[in-house]
Amino acid sequence: MSSSGVSHLFAQLPLGVRLRAGATFANYYPGANREAVGVFEQAVQRGDEACVYLWGGAGTGKTHLLHAACHAAAARGVPLTYLPFSELEQLSLAMLEGLEALPLVVLDDIERIAGDVQWETALFHLYNRLREAGGQLLVAADANPASLALGLPDLRSRLAWGVVLQLHELSDEDKAGALRLQARQRGMELPVEVAGFLLRHCHRDLHALFALLDLLDHASLAAQRKLTVPFVKSVLEAEA
Amino acid sequence: MNTSLWQKCIDHLEGELTPQQFNTWIRPLHAVEEGESLRLLAPNRFVLDWVNDRFLGQINQLVCSFNEGATPQVTLEVGTARVAPAVAELAEKPAAQVQTHAGFRRKSDGSRSASSVINLRPEFTFDNFVEGKSNQLARAASMQIAENPGTAYNPLFVYGGVGLGKTHLMHAVGNLMLKRKPAAQVVYLHSERFVGDMVKALQHNAINEFKRFYRSVDALLIDDIQFFAGKERSQEEFFHTFNALLEGQQQIILTCDRYPKEVDGLEERLKSRFGWGLTVAIEPAELETCVAILMSKATQMNTELSPDVAFFIAKRIRSNIRELEGALRRVVANARFTGRNITVDFAKEALKDLLALQDKLVTIENIQKTVAEYYKIRIADLLSERRSRSVARPRQLAMALSKELTNHSLPEIGKAFGGRDHTTVMHACRKIRELRDSENRVQEDYSNLLRTLTT
Repeated sequence: MSSSGVSHLFAQLPLGVRLRAGATFANYYPGANREAVGVFEQAVQRGDEACVYLWGGAGTGKTHLLHAACHAAAARGVPLTYLPFSELEQLSLAMLEGLEALPLVVLDDIERIAGDVQWETALFHLYNRLREAGGQLLVAADANPASLALGLPDLRSRLAWGVVLQLHELSDEDKAGALRLQARQRGMELPVEVAGFLLRHCHRDLHALFALLDLLDHASLAAQRKLTVPFVKSVLEAEA
Repeated sequence: MNTSLWQKCIDHLEGELTPQQFNTWIRPLHAVEEGESLRLLAPNRFVLDWVNDRFLGQINQLVCSFNEGATPQVTLEVGTARVAPAVAELAEKPAAQVQTHAGFRRKSDGSRSASSVINLRPEFTFDNFVEGKSNQLARAASMQIAENPGTAYNPLFVYGGVGLGKTHLMHAVGNLMLKRKPAAQVVYLHSERFVGDMVKALQHNAINEFKRFYRSVDALLIDDIQFFAGKERSQEEFFHTFNALLEGQQQIILTCDRYPKEVDGLEERLKSRFGWGLTVAIEPAELETCVAILMSKATQMNTELSPDVAFFIAKRIRSNIRELEGALRRVVANARFTGRNITVDFAKEALKDLLALQDKLVTIENIQKTVAEYYKIRIADLLSERRSRSVARPRQLAMALSKELTNHSLPEIGKAFGGRDHTTVMHACRKIRELRDSENRVQEDYSNLLRTLTT
C-alpha cells in the first residue's frame, strides 16, 4: 500500500481520537526538545511565569504538552480552562468572560484567530485581566509571536513578554522513540525494526503515526499476534 | 453527603470525555458541595449553557450512581471560587471597586477605607523606572504630577508604541502619589474595564453609582485609551467624568499607542481636551537604556546578570522592552532549569531560536521594502543612480538600518543597494547619525522604521 493511503485514512480522524486521554509530561517524548520541555514543565509546576508560549509545526506535541500542563495543574487542585481554537466553531467570545478568576488559562492553536480583530482584541483584554489577577496563561501556536499574522501589535508584544519556547520536529530516530514510548503506554511492545518500518513506509507526521498505533493495537488484539514487520505489513495492506 | 462526590464525578468524566471536552468544559467548573446539593460554578454564561446542554444529564446520572439513597440536587450557576463578586454587589459598585487586589483594602461594611488603591501595582515605581533619552521628558512630567497632582499638568497624556513603559510610568505616578498622601484615592484601570464597568452599571441600573465613583477619585489613571475608539456611549460618559475631574482638580493620566489626534473613532471634543494638559511621547529606548532596563529587571527577578550579557541580549533582540524582558525571562528560566550560570554563551544558546528568527526576519530586502513603502517610493528608486533628496535620504536611512539590523558587511550592503561602494554606506550611516540628532523628522522616521522592522 502507499504511505499516502494510510495518512489519508487517518487524517480524517477527529482530534479527540488521535490524542489519547492521559497526556502527561512523563509520556511525552522530548527528543531534542528536552530543555524547552523542561523549562515549560517547571513553569507549570511553579506557576510563576505569567505567560508561556509554545510554538512549533504540526506533530511537535504542543497539544500534548498543554494537556499535560492541565493534568499537572489539576493534580495540584488548580482550577483551569483549556480553549482549543482549532475547534473555533465551538467557541464564542463570550467564553472569555470572567476567565481571569481561574488561576490557569490554556489557549491552543491561537494562530486560528490571528487576523480576527474581535478575537484578537478579546484575547488582549483577557491577557491584561489575567495578568492583573495574577493568573497564568499558557499558549500554543504554529508560529512564534513575531510571525503570527496578528493585526493587533499590543497582543503580539504581550505574547512575546513571557517565556517563548520553540518545539522542533523530532528526528526520525526520535520519532521511533516516541512511537515506542506511546506503544508502551498502551501495553504494546513495538520492536525497533517495526518502528523503523513504519517510519519508512508511512506518513511520518507523529499524529498520523500515533493514529496508526490505534489500528495496530486493535489488530494485534484481534489476531492475538505480536507486532512484527510481517504482521504490520499485512495489517496495513488489509487497511489499504 | 460525601465531600469527594465531585472528585468522583471528575475522575469518571475524565475517562469518558475527550481530553479537549474535559479540559474545556469540566475543568473550569468549581464545585460547592452543601448538604444535599452540589452547586457547580461556571466562569461565564457560555460555559454554563454548554455544560447545561451537553453534560448535565451525564453529571446527574453519575451523582445518582455514586449516591445511594437521597439524590443530591445539582445546580449550575455563574460564579467563581477566587474573586467572586456577586451580581447584586456589582450592581452597587463598579467592578473595579469590587475586584480585590493586593493593596486594595475595603472595610467589612463595604465602604471604601481611608486609602483606596485600585489595581495599582506596587512593583512599578520611579525607583525601578530606567530613565533614558527616549523617556526622560515623560518621566520628568510624571514626577512633577506625582508631586503636585491636579495642578501641574492635567491631564497628562503619554503616548508611544507597544512595550515602551507607558504603563510602568503611570503606576509609578500613582504609587508616588500614595506615598506622599496615603489617604489618596488612586484608581488605575485599562480602558476596557471602564467600558465594562459602564455596561454593567447600565445593566443594573447603577449608572449614578458609577458616575459618583469615578468622579470621586483623587487620580484616575486610564491605560490604552485607543480602545475607546468607536464606543460612543463610553466616550460620552468618559467625557463628563473627565470634565468633572478636571474641574475638581483631580488628576487624570491617560496612555495611548499614538498621538491623540491620530486615534480614529474618538470624538473630536475628547481629542481636543486630551491636549489641554501635557502630551508627551515615549520613544523606543536606545541601546544603553535597554541594557539598564534589563539589569533592573534581572534584579527584580533576583537574578545576577552581568553587563556583557545584558548588552548581548539588548543588542541582538532589537525590539521593544516587553520583548526584551521576554528574552531575559527565557534566559533566566533556562538557567533555573539547567542550574547553569548565565554567561554570554549561555544566553546565546538559550536564545538561539529567537536569534535565528531575528536574523531571518530582518533582511536587507525587507528593509528596502519597508523603507520604500514608508516613503511611498519604489524599491527600484532605492537601487537607482538617482540622487535627488526625495530618494537619497530614504536610501541612506535604509543603508543605516541595514547596518544596524543585519550582520551583513558594508560591502555586502553597498552591493545590495545597486552595487554601491562600501564607503557610500559608511557615509550614509554617518549622515543619518548626524541628522537624527539635528532633525526631529529624521529621528522620528528612523524610530518608526526601526519599530516596524523589529516588532
